[in-house]
Amino acid sequence: MPALKAALVERVTAQDWRAACERHAQAGGRFCGLFASRGSQGLQANCLFARSDQDHVVCAHVSSGAIDTLVDLFAAAGRDEREAHDSYGLRFAGHEPMRPLLDHPVEPEAWTVAVHGHDPYQVAVGPIHAGVIESGHFRFTVVGERILHLDLRMFYKHRGLQTAAEGRPLADGLRYAQRACAACAVTNTVAYAQACESALGLAPDRNLRRARTLLLELERLYNHLNDVSAICAGVGFAPGAMAFAAFKERAQRLNQRLTGHRFLFNTVALAAGTLHIGQGDTRAAREELKTLDEEQRRLWRELQFAGSVQDRLGDVGRLTREDAVRLGAVGPSARAAGVHQDTRSESPRLFYGEFVPATPEYASGDVAARLDIRRVELAHTFAILDELLTISFMPGGVKDLDAPPNGLGVGRVESPRGETVCAVQTDGHTTGRLHLRTGSYANWPAVAHAARENLLPDFPLINKSFELCYACADR
Amino acid sequence: MTLATLAAGVVQVVGGVLGAPAIVGLIQHLKARLQGRRGPSVLQPYRELRRLWGKSGVTPEPHTFIYTVAPAVAAASTILALLLLPIGGHGPDWGLGHDALVLIGLLALARFAITLAAWDTTSGFALMGGARDLMFSVFVEGLLLLVLVLLALPLHSTDLLSMSHAATLPEVWSRPAHWAAAVAFCLVIVAETGRQPVDNPDTHLELTMVHEGPLLEYAGRELAYLQWSAAAKHWIMLVLACELVIPNPVSFAAQVAVLGGGVLLLSVALAVCETVQAKMRVLRVPLLLGSGVALCLLGLASWFAGGGG
Repeated sequence: MPALKAALVERVTAQDWRAACERHAQAGGRFCGLFASRGSQGLQANCLFARSDQDHVVCAHVSSGAIDTLVDLFAAAGRDEREAHDSYGLRFAGHEPMRPLLDHPVEPEAWTVAVHGHDPYQVAVGPIHAGVIESGHFRFTVVGERILHLDLRMFYKHRGLQTAAEGRPLADGLRYAQRACAACAVTNTVAYAQACESALGLAPDRNLRRARTLLLELERLYNHLNDVSAICAGVGFAPGAMAFAAFKERAQRLNQRLTGHRFLFNTVALAAGTLHIGQGDTRAAREELKTLDEEQRRLWRELQFAGSVQDRLGDVGRLTREDAVRLGAVGPSARAAGVHQDTRSESPRLFYGEFVPATPEYASGDVAARLDIRRVELAHTFAILDELLTISFMPGGVKDLDAPPNGLGVGRVESPRGETVCAVQTDGHTTGRLHLRTGSYANWPAVAHAARENLLPDFPLINKSFELCYACADR
Repeated sequence: MTLATLAAGVVQVVGGVLGAPAIVGLIQHLKARLQGRRGPSVLQPYRELRRLWGKSGVTPEPHTFIYTVAPAVAAASTILALLLLPIGGHGPDWGLGHDALVLIGLLALARFAITLAAWDTTSGFALMGGARDLMFSVFVEGLLLLVLVLLALPLHSTDLLSMSHAATLPEVWSRPAHWAAAVAFCLVIVAETGRQPVDNPDTHLELTMVHEGPLLEYAGRELAYLQWSAAAKHWIMLVLACELVIPNPVSFAAQVAVLGGGVLLLSVALAVCETVQAKMRVLRVPLLLGSGVALCLLGLASWFAGGGG
């Protein structure tokens, strides 16, 4: 576990930008986001790296409006650069063609990958879907039933939350981070709170760390149960879908009892704790979780022996380990491909102790592995919750670190869909720039990649095995 | 015309036209119960049809008259198919005869009309569903033909009435050919009615659709025709299975009772099958149907090897 340190900011010139980022990568830094911001000196490009000792941020002022691209070094930076280009007008020399991400030009040629030949044809799905699904446009290039290529168009739900938070008191930013998406409300707010506290030179005390960890795991619990239900529905196995949907409902009712909100809204505060759970409530919650755990384990056995279900999962939507690393996949999807990374094991601001990332039985990177990793992680989550709930919860607080405030804080938190990174540039006690890069945002390119070479009717299943959110990527 | 023939005619029309949606409703209701849901009432398909009947249709651009007439063609050929069915071994002559091959042809005509309509609208989802349906139909029609050939062997006739009569003979159950036909018929039912594991009638995922795909563009009365046709197909398949495969008693009243019980039983079986089975990968379906073909060929071989008695 890295020591509790604020992010180290390295300011470089635009000419040194690329070399500096390359240096961090060579030193073992993991790319976890790139964003543009506008300061007093004009445009600024920022790149985040997670290293074993602490987080590093490379900042460069861009006077000419253009900077070297990083996309050939980190494929994961592709979407970040496109977003910075569309929303800040920052140009990236060498990023060709620069396809728009926020902008929605009418002509498909402007944003899709050109496919030549006589046999391929395109199937367009969305942005309006049947069922309760968010807005996303999928453009498949297909030959027969086989997917050659998939282009994603998102940002239909772009609400400008990050810009709206600018200039407001830091504490107000929590609401903007929370509204990015309901299913990751705790992750987003904890990441935001951590970023602010890190920028202000504060650290949470034991009570606050415990409370936030409890909330994060409660969020993971209902999300994972929901994802298993979605995968069952994806193969048309209604009994499994119904059973896990019922478990999810029970988990959400437990959320309601413990925190007063089914989606755990308004449970995280800046530099303070609000959670107060007495001994009687924790005991009751433990009992409920114990029975829930036993029942869901029974269902897992049934799923394992349902041949028609298992038959659909193997070798579908395969994401290799190399591709997962290259595309910057995070969370259960990356771990299912054999990437041994879980931000919970690098979270000194939370209460995970010596956490070891979960591994599926076979890290094959397909739908089967993504389902199995959720089984393993659910077991971990139940164990963590059981341990946390042995003692009651008192509102916690923060203590001062010796480090002086450095004006830029980074929070990294493991959401049910992978690492969510929040960077906050402070301007005194107001937000200068808020950047939220959620697990869903990081994983969408991996979905498009995993869909290739698969059958078109298998795509809904592949998509559900990632079960990413649109809103918190669009924010 | 005997009383039995008259009664059979009434059941053909009333059961087929009015009773068919109840089969779909029953399966939906049972499925919901088996999955731990309260589910819709058995009468829900009737409410759906009434709702659709009162709504105006939509016409996508571009479209030609094919899109407009396809639902009527599909419904009409399904109605004609209903009139071919033997009920309790009887059936009035509506001027169509009772030949099994005509039945296959009428079902194919309905499918053809719907697929043409999908082509007409050039909607991606409709075309995908239609294309898959045609791909399946190559195997399903072949399998249905083989099953009917096996069942036609005892009396050397593809006339559905005489095939139904053959099922009253007690000795058919000592013949492997009849067993093979019975098992293969189950696969035909699942595939023709668009049930799991072949197709998921409950799905909202357009990319996975087979039978629902070509229906996506339709609304109002046209959609009502198509939904009724889908329900009537359940009736046709289940009645055919009961009449031709289940050993029937000789008296007409008892045969009608067996038919009613059989349709009910098969509906329950479909609901159970759809609950415990996930949907199959699309390209595996031909394999499943192919295993039925292999079974039929074995049955045929056993017949000519002397199993026909």
